[in-house]
Amino acid sequence: MKCEVSNASTTSLMNPVLAPLASNVQQTVGVIRAVWPTRPRAAVILGTGLGNVANEIEVEAEFGYFDLPHFRRSTALAHRGRLLCGRLGGLPVVTMDGRCHHYEGCTYHELTFPVRVMHALGAEVLIASNASGGLNPKFAAGDIVVQDDHLDLMFRRGGLSAGCSMPRPASPMQSPYDRELAELALSVARRENFAAHRGVYVAVTGPNYETRAEYRMFRRLGGDVVGMSTVPEVETAVACGMRVLALSTVTNVARPDAPETVDAEDVVDVASHAEPNLRKIVLAVMRHERLAQQESR
Amino acid sequence: MLELYGQIEEAVAAIRGQWNETPHAGIILGTGLGGLVEEIDVEAAIDYEAIPNFPRSTAISHRGRLVCGRLRGLPVMAMEGRFHMYEGYSLKQITLPVRVMRAMGAKLLVVSNACGGMNPYYREGDIMVIDDHINLLGDNPLIGINDDRLGPRFPDMCEPYDRRLVDRGLAVARANDIVAHKGVFVAVAGPNLETRAEYRFLRLIGADVVGMSTVPEVIVAVHCGLKVVGFSIVTDMCLPDALHPADVQKIIGIANEAEPKLRTLVGGVLDSDEVRSL
Repeated sequence: MKCEVSNASTTSLMNPVLAPLASNVQQTVGVIRAVWPTRPRAAVILGTGLGNVANEIEVEAEFGYFDLPHFRRSTALAHRGRLLCGRLGGLPVVTMDGRCHHYEGCTYHELTFPVRVMHALGAEVLIASNASGGLNPKFAAGDIVVQDDHLDLMFRRGGLSAGCSMPRPASPMQSPYDRELAELALSVARRENFAAHRGVYVAVTGPNYETRAEYRMFRRLGGDVVGMSTVPEVETAVACGMRVLALSTVTNVARPDAPETVDAEDVVDVASHAEPNLRKIVLAVMRHERLAQQESR
Repeated sequence: MLELYGQIEEAVAAIRGQWNETPHAGIILGTGLGGLVEEIDVEAAIDYEAIPNFPRSTAISHRGRLVCGRLRGLPVMAMEGRFHMYEGYSLKQITLPVRVMRAMGAKLLVVSNACGGMNPYYREGDIMVIDDHINLLGDNPLIGINDDRLGPRFPDMCEPYDRRLVDRGLAVARANDIVAHKGVFVAVAGPNLETRAEYRFLRLIGADVVGMSTVPEVIVAVHCGLKVVGFSIVTDMCLPDALHPADVQKIIGIANEAEPKLRTLVGGVLDSDEVRSL
């Protein structure tokens, strides 16, 4: 997939969406900086059932999405709606505890706005997490998928990725996901003895779960897991030049030839059980980034 | 979606003003398939214009009225004329009548449509009992803040079409010497018909027939707890290596010719124990 990234200085003059976007980002950044002047190195998005990772953060400032200009409140199950600023494994981070989804009626711009804000605060790395349904029959519930690539089947209309208010990244989107961080995540899984796979995430709007025919289609198209989030945020982060790691917790494996009903509460439950493994990866990335930060000084 | 509850209540009140019964089934009649209405002992026929919040059907060969009465002795509500995404309606508008049927007390939704056949074993005029679907509309009627009074946030879709009713439909077809298949319906927005490359793609992803309707209504039916049985009439064959320009008048002609088969199948399914015991 080609991702056109435009330089803000020219685009904002032409694009009626971008000009207010840049100033909206600055407005929200101003509200956060007034309370928390630290420059975060990493941004973290906590998805379904993974909210407890937030407990690991030494919180220095906390904002409800209601209190941040231009932020949309999440209505999703098991999603809180707060931005946590502080330290995780010693690294300054900004964390979204809960996110919005297309199926809640959010537009592409509303979904991706927080990523632009976290980038404008200074974050260079994005760790996104989600819960997904497994398509690859070799996966099991509770496994973690380190996203290697994605298929965007969200069909969003009237809200294309509108570049970023930052210079274009050094390389275009050959792979949206950072190789080094993905390798690190997989090595953590080997060392800690839990199952993690590389895989392709298929993004759909939902909110209904998929039919058997749709599961078969996604598998045939090359998908390993399917979910209802993450891709808009990743596309925006890549457009902003951030390095991205996306971790997907497989909450159930679709077996279209022997279908079972999917229960949203079960999904949340499995995601919570897998959370300690996810936490180990997140903390390893924090350590890695702290070392990288020290070296660059 | 929070606006729907009040809209449903208004529509139900308007219908009850003319027909104060509890329907057992709701029926949606697709392109060229309105003839089934002749079998209904009509107790009330209400133009869509007279029902608050109902859209108006602009599609060709769709009448635009709600027919209430008895079919094989069962109280039913039949939509003579349905709405399509390509008419410019939102999927929430298109599917409101399904929620109204549910609110009136219906247990079952019977859907029908005219479709293009892509499975090379199918023939014009054949019936396909819908076993499953693929939503390629690029939209979903459930997007928005969920109203838990109407249904769950994440409806399961492992069996959107009731399997016992699929089997019953096929059995009725065999008993009446009607050629019927079991297959996968893929919904696209249209309104243009597909290119050869698109037909190949749709076949590749596992679909047997393609159409521009039905899936929104079925998603909403599952959301609000209706059982569903669906029938597609293959009105033209879409084989990409021997594709002919589609002729809408001919398609409607074939739908009209095949329509008696649909009457037999719908009647047979409504007569079955599976439906009576719902």
